[in-house]
Formats: sequence, structure tokens, C-alpha cells
Amino acid sequence: MATVTATAPDTRTFAGTAWSWITTVDHKRIAVLYLVTSLAFFMLGGLEALLMRLQLATPESDLVSAERFTELFTMHGTTMVFLALMPLSAAFFNLLVPLMIGARDVAFPRLNALSYWIYLFGGIFMNISFVAGGAPNAGWFGYAPLTDTAFEATHAIDFWAFGLQILGVSSILASINFIVTIINMRAPGMTLNRMPMFVWMSMITAFLIIFAFPAITIGLVLLIFDRYIETNFFIPEGGGDPVLWQHLFWVFGHPEVYILILPAMGIVSEILPTYSRKPLFGYAVVAYSGAAIALVGFGVWTHHMFTVGLGPIADTAFAISTMAIAVPTGVKIFNWIATLYGGSISFKSPMLFAVGMVSMFIIGGLSGVMLGSPPIDSQVQDTYFVVAHLHYVLFGGTVFGLFGGIYHWFPKFTGRFMHDGWGKVHWLLMMIGFNLTFLPQHMLGIDGMPRRVHTYAAEMGFDLWNMMSTVGSLMIGLSFLIFIINALRSIRHGEPSGGDPWDGGTLEWTIPSPPPVYNFAEIPIVDGRYPAWDIKRGGGHTGAVATAPEADAEADEPDIHMPNPSYWPIVMAAGMVLAACGLIFHQAFILLGAVLFGISLLGWIEEPSA
Amino acid sequence: MHKARPSVTRANGDESRPIQGRRSTPLTRNRRIYATLLAPALAVAVLALAACGVTPQTTLEPTTEAARTARDLLMFVFWAMVVTFVLVEGALLYVLIRFRRRSGDGIPAQTHGNTPLEIGWTIAPAILVVVIVVLTVPAIFSNARAAGPDALKVRAIGHQWWFEFQYPDLGVTTANELHLPVNREVEIQLESNDVLHSFWVPSLRGKLDMVPGRENKFTIKPEVTGTFPGQCAEFCGTAHALMKFHVVVETQAEFNAWLQNERTDRVAPASELASEGEANLTLGGCVACHTIRGTDSAGILGPDLTHMGSRKYIAAGILENTPENMRAWLSDPQGVKPGNTMVIPELTTEQLDSLVAYLQGLK
Repeated sequence: MATVTATAPDTRTFAGTAWSWITTVDHKRIAVLYLVTSLAFFMLGGLEALLMRLQLATPESDLVSAERFTELFTMHGTTMVFLALMPLSAAFFNLLVPLMIGARDVAFPRLNALSYWIYLFGGIFMNISFVAGGAPNAGWFGYAPLTDTAFEATHAIDFWAFGLQILGVSSILASINFIVTIINMRAPGMTLNRMPMFVWMSMITAFLIIFAFPAITIGLVLLIFDRYIETNFFIPEGGGDPVLWQHLFWVFGHPEVYILILPAMGIVSEILPTYSRKPLFGYAVVAYSGAAIALVGFGVWTHHMFTVGLGPIADTAFAISTMAIAVPTGVKIFNWIATLYGGSISFKSPMLFAVGMVSMFIIGGLSGVMLGSPPIDSQVQDTYFVVAHLHYVLFGGTVFGLFGGIYHWFPKFTGRFMHDGWGKVHWLLMMIGFNLTFLPQHMLGIDGMPRRVHTYAAEMGFDLWNMMSTVGSLMIGLSFLIFIINALRSIRHGEPSGGDPWDGGTLEWTIPSPPPVYNFAEIPIVDGRYPAWDIKRGGGHTGAVATAPEADAEADEPDIHMPNPSYWPIVMAAGMVLAACGLIFHQAFILLGAVLFGISLLGWIEEPSA
Repeated sequence: MHKARPSVTRANGDESRPIQGRRSTPLTRNRRIYATLLAPALAVAVLALAACGVTPQTTLEPTTEAARTARDLLMFVFWAMVVTFVLVEGALLYVLIRFRRRSGDGIPAQTHGNTPLEIGWTIAPAILVVVIVVLTVPAIFSNARAAGPDALKVRAIGHQWWFEFQYPDLGVTTANELHLPVNREVEIQLESNDVLHSFWVPSLRGKLDMVPGRENKFTIKPEVTGTFPGQCAEFCGTAHALMKFHVVVETQAEFNAWLQNERTDRVAPASELASEGEANLTLGGCVACHTIRGTDSAGILGPDLTHMGSRKYIAAGILENTPENMRAWLSDPQGVKPGNTMVIPELTTEQLDSLVAYLQGLK
């Protein structure tokens, strides 16, 4: 796909090709790895969801056993959050951040590869549990003390706890990498105030990860202590407090929601201007509201705990902070609509997904305001109303946004279009299927159906809504299948797109597709927020012209210094995950993992940098 | 907003031409588009109405002040959100249709922002949420108010996967069926014996968690007699879905009669078969976990069965208390409620019959 550097192995053989991917440190290839892996996990999480929907289609069904059902909803949530949506966002960070800021790679290319390999191995590690004695089964927020050995003596919870720790390392490393990249490697002239909005949202997301993950890291360490060395942090009999876990989890967990949605908001903030041919309306306000959401997002966590019994003062304080978040969120939406206003809107598939994101996210936001009021929450908390709400945010918002991004930047990845007609079919089916799945779930919650139930009695009156929901979920599954076929076909047979198929405004559209290894033959000088438009429109709206990079520079003989490929990242990641296996299977793995880690660390340090 | 931009050209080859304001569109065409969009919305609404069947666990039929406060707030915020939804999605749809690209469009006017407008739409949602907060806060405090001195006290204890109810001032312990007198204040104290559970009877009040090591309590005053379904609302392990209970709100006289009966020891077996059943309690392993006052059965791990024949449901609110269901439950506890800890040895048909007859007779 992308060209390889002169030092890379021979890609004419299969082994050579595989080796070139294993050792790659090119941000674009790592983006492809992230994309493919996260879509595979997305499919897995989707299959888990479909199994649950089939079980719930009819009352008192026994298609899936109660035990299996608990594994399915735990792994569905965990997979979608940590193995599908976060890494899918990471695919976009990897592809786009360097291209959008006019850099040749990220700040730490090997660290970038390490993040990916840790993610891949961590994801596999967690899913091995299905065939190694039982998958995690305490829900994706794993409330204590159900996670204690007294209630789950198998290793199911250990897979979950170690898996999340491993994935956390990957996320934090990637975040440091992108913060450094964004702060230090922007092309000359690209002030923070001229950064593409997607880069803004990437940076805010990276900061969120760095500040939010330590909370869950600590929580998981304490949980592992409770399970392995019989401490009592969350065990009431020993003086511990299960509510402490909830605080630690949601101090992480609420910002996590913004970690999942902000990248999609960034993508939409790039797509809407492109397809309406207008700059983003209220750029500064959109950036600041993103930052405001992130900041206030750290002060709302107990709205997940309104039914814990923290008392009216705490409930009031957190209801107010939660409501406050509606303001910057609303502002973003109004600014998006104003971006479209007066534009010349073309409805290509990326735009349909972006508009779908805005319209569905609105619903998730509004039901969020309802949940923010503790008396209302006391009724619908832990019911299907919450399931509906969170899917309007994370599916209606994040998934629609990210799919829009895939259709939009697929030509940049591959040099070819995805088929637009099939893209629209995908969108329509997903739109109908999504609403058919999740709209009725609001009613289920209000009618009193708790979440995480593997069955319900016929006389509860839940049948019709559940059947609709299952039919809708099958439509979503079908739409995803159409997407996959479309994508696979388009890689080889899609219509060639050229470097700038959408009349884009940001820097990545000034270079060929797929981009050369070194991205920019000559580092561009930036003089406005939409440098590519400036070039194409000859002065354009900012009244300034960026120095045009040589879009079709001679790729064969670039006198550009690029980082060498390295196999140490994959070795180091393997060492980490092997060590975690040691705590579950056999202690010998710990030693093996530590040795691999040590060797790779030395190798990493000693590796010639050029 | 549509200032004409003379002689804007596009570099990538599209035919470009000056924009002379937006061309007017035939109104009929827009109407048709709006109509197509409206049709499915209406279809959904009709379907929604048609689907309103009987839902006994609904949050929309409150029978206490606490549940009514939550319902009223829910309805108010819901309609406020519906209005917001219609306005915002309407604006979005309008803009999408009005400004769709037409052949010959050039580069539209490049607007970057409008400070007064943006301040305006920052303030608008702020006002809305302030209104909601103002309505919410008194409701939070009224839901949290303490009980008066005359309140009936109940301890509700969550177990995997059933509910224990104790009336500490009345000396009564029962399971899975909470009896309350109508129009009397009740203070329910929530505890857990193992993991997190949540006490939720939508018609009485929103849920409150049962947290091991903590004591939560709330006060309600049931206003309507009847049997109201409730269910554990916090995931508590394998059989979470099957951890249900019922609240029977009855007149003071009915409540007193129930109380009187609960305080007595078990009724002696009325038939020979039932007597055999009592004799089989040990064989069946029942004595290890269950209490039946008046017999040797004094276990404390499972529900008190002294008057279980009088309950409307068995197995934590999931099966009606009929001889057939009792037999099904006793012959395959794991099949009825996966993961539960009830252990019963293989019994002969006669032994099963005797136990069913005995337990049914424990009125």
C-alpha cells in the first residue's frame, strides 16, 4: 500500500511483506494495522451483541445460557470501548495527525509501533479467556465485590483486569506520542489557532487519556491485590468499600466517554466544512467547547452513581456539573449546523455519515440531560433507557462519525474511492437499523426492563420492543457486511481517486494518495486554517497563500531521512503480555516475559537511529 | 450570509462561475422532500402507540409521592427534550435541504463565525438546563427526606438471588414478598449480604442500591393497594434477571391479619402426604439452609419458609406459587434459576409429591 524505505525487506515475497509490516514504524502503515485490527474487534463485539439480541428477541428464551450471557455483555462492552472504538480513533490519529500538521511521522515512531503491538496482544489476551476457562463476566465496569474471588474464583476477572492494564499502557504511550507530535512537529506557520479541528480534538483526547487512565490503573492494581494477595480494598468484610471501586472506575469512565466521542467530533468538524465548501463556523468556540467538555468531564463522574446513595448534596452537585456539560455540547452542534448554513452541500457517503452523527448524537445528548436529573435517573438508571442513551452517544455519535471518517479518508489510505452507492446503502441500512434497535430501548427502560438481564417474563410486556430491537440489530449487522465487502473490493477495484478527491482544505489533500513514505517532499509553510483551499483558490478566504509542497515529487530518490524499521516494539509488547499470562497460566511465563522485555529494551536503546 | 463572491474559481477543474445569490427553488420540491422525511416519523409514532400494551413494571404509574415526583419530572424534561429535538433536528434538516448542492454552484460565501449568534446559542441551552436544575434540586431533597417517628421500619437485605425482608419492630422475617399497609409511612433500610443489588419497585420509588457494608434507606408512603412487581436493578451475577420480588400494599386490617399469621409457627401438616413431606425435610437437605419455625429446620442461608404456602410467588418472584411450579422448582433448581445455590439430592416421585404437598400447606 504505502511505499517502503530503502532499508526495508524485500516485499516481493510473502515473508518479506509480512516482515515489513511487523517491523514498520511508518505512521500510515501503523494506521492501517490499527484500522484492520479494530474493525476485526468491532465485528467480534458486534457478533456478541447479535447473540444477545437473538436471546432477547423473545421472552423466556434459552438460546444463550445465563452464564454465557454475562460473558457476552461484559465482553461486548469491553471490546467495543477498548478494542474497537478507541483503536479505531487511534487509526485516524495515526493516519491524519502527521499529515494534517505537515509532519513526516510522529515524534516517536517506534513507540507508536509499540502502542499498536501492545494493543493487539492485549486484545488477543483478553479474548483467549473464552477458551481458557471462561470470559470476564462482571460487566464492563466490573463492580466490586462481584469481581472478588469469593464470587468469581476462576481467572475470568484476571483476564479482564490484566487485559485492561495492558491496553492502558498502549493508550497512554500513544497519547504521549501524539501530544509531543502535535506540540512539537507542526509545520511552520501552523499555530494552535490554525490547527485542523481534528488535530485539536486528537490532542484533547490524548490529554484526557493521560489524566483519566491513572484512575482505572490504580483501581485495577487494588483489584488485583484483592484477588491475588487477599487485601481488602473493596471487600466490606475486611473493612474495604465497594463504592471506592465505583469512584475510581468512573473518574476514569466518564472522561472515557469523551475519549470515545471527541475524535468523532473532530472528524465531523473536518467533513462538514469539506462537503459544504465552507470553513468551520466558530472555529475557536468549537475548539474551546471541546476543551471545556474535557475539563468539566472530570467533574461529573458520580452521575453514574446517583443510585448508590451518596446523599442529596453530592447528587445535587453532580447533577449541576452534568447539566453544565450540555452547554458546550449544544454549542458544538449549533456551530456545525451554522457551518452547513449557506453552504453548497454535497451528499457523498462521508457527508451522510457525518450528518448522521450530528443528528443521532443530538438524541443521545438529550436523553443524557434526562439522566442527569437524579430523580429521573433513579427510575431509569440500570435499565434499557441507559443502554439506549449510551448507544445513541457511542454508536449514533462515535460509530457514525468514525465510519464517515473511513469513507472520507479511504482514498487517502489507498488512492481509491469506496463505492459511493454502496456506501449510501450502508448508511441507510445502518441508520434505519440503528434507530430500530435503540429507539425502542428507551421505552423498555421506562417500562421497567433492567439492563444486563438474560431473559424476561412474557407477562412483563417487553416482547414487541425487544423484537423490534433485534430486527434492527440484524440490519446493522447486514449494513456492516456491506461495508466490509465494499471496503475489500475497493482496495483493489475502487475508482482511482487522485490526491484530492473531495476538494479538501487541510494539508493531507495537498499530497498524493496513498502518501509517499515521507509524506511531504518539502515541509509546507502554513498561513491559514485551510491551507489546501488557499492554494487551490489562489488566496482564498484567508488572503494568504501557503508555500505549495511538491505534490508529485520524485518518490524514487528522496533525500529524506526517515526512521528505520524495528522489530523491538513487537518483542517488547510480547514480553509484556507474556508476563501477564504468567499471572494466569504458569509463573514461568513471567520470567520469559521479563527476559524478552529486558532484551528488547536493551535492543531498543542500542538500535542505531539511522 | 449569501454575499455574492465575484469570480471565485476552483483550481481542480470544476466549471466555476460567479455566484449571483442563491437561485430560488420551486417550493413544491421542498415540500415533497419534507413529506418523505415526515412519513417514516409518523409511522414510528403510530407503531409506538400500537405497542403500548400492559407493562406491570412501568415507571409511569406511580403510587407514591416519591414515584410521582420522578414521573412528573421525567415527563417535563422529556417534553422539553422533544421540543429541543424538533427545533434542532428541524433546523438541521432545513439547512441540509435548503443548501444542498445544485449544479452550477460555486464556492459559497465563506463565513467564519458570528459572535452575537454564538453567545446566543450558548445562553439558550444554559437557560434550559438551569430550569431543569431548579426543578430537580427540590425533588432530590424531597426524595431524601427522613421518616417520621411513626414510620414502619423494614430491613430489606439482598442475597444472591433473593430478597429478605425483616420487620425489626414487629419480629417478623419473610422473603421475596414485602407486605406494607396503605397510607402509612415506611422506612426501608437497604443492606446486602454479598454483592451489590438494587431495590427497585418502579410504582413506589426509583431504585436505591443495596451495598454491602453500607446502610441506605428511603421513606415512602404507599397510597394504593395492590401487588406491585419489583426487581433487582444492579447486576449481581448469573441469575440477576431472576431476582424479583413483589410488594403487597394492603389495608391496615389485611396487613394486621397477615402479620398475625406470620408471627405464628408453621401450620401443622394437614394430610398424611404433607406429614411425610415434613419428615423428608432432612432428606431433601432443606434443613441446612431454610427456617421453618416449629420444625427442626433452622437454616439461615435461604429464605424463611415458615409461611411460604401463603406467598403468591416462589423462587424470588419468578414463578407463581402453584403445585406444578413448586414441583418444577424442586426437581430442577438449576434449570429454573441458573447459578443459584439451592442443592437438592435426587428425590423419588413420592418424596417430591410429599414435599410439594407440605410446602403448599404452609399457609
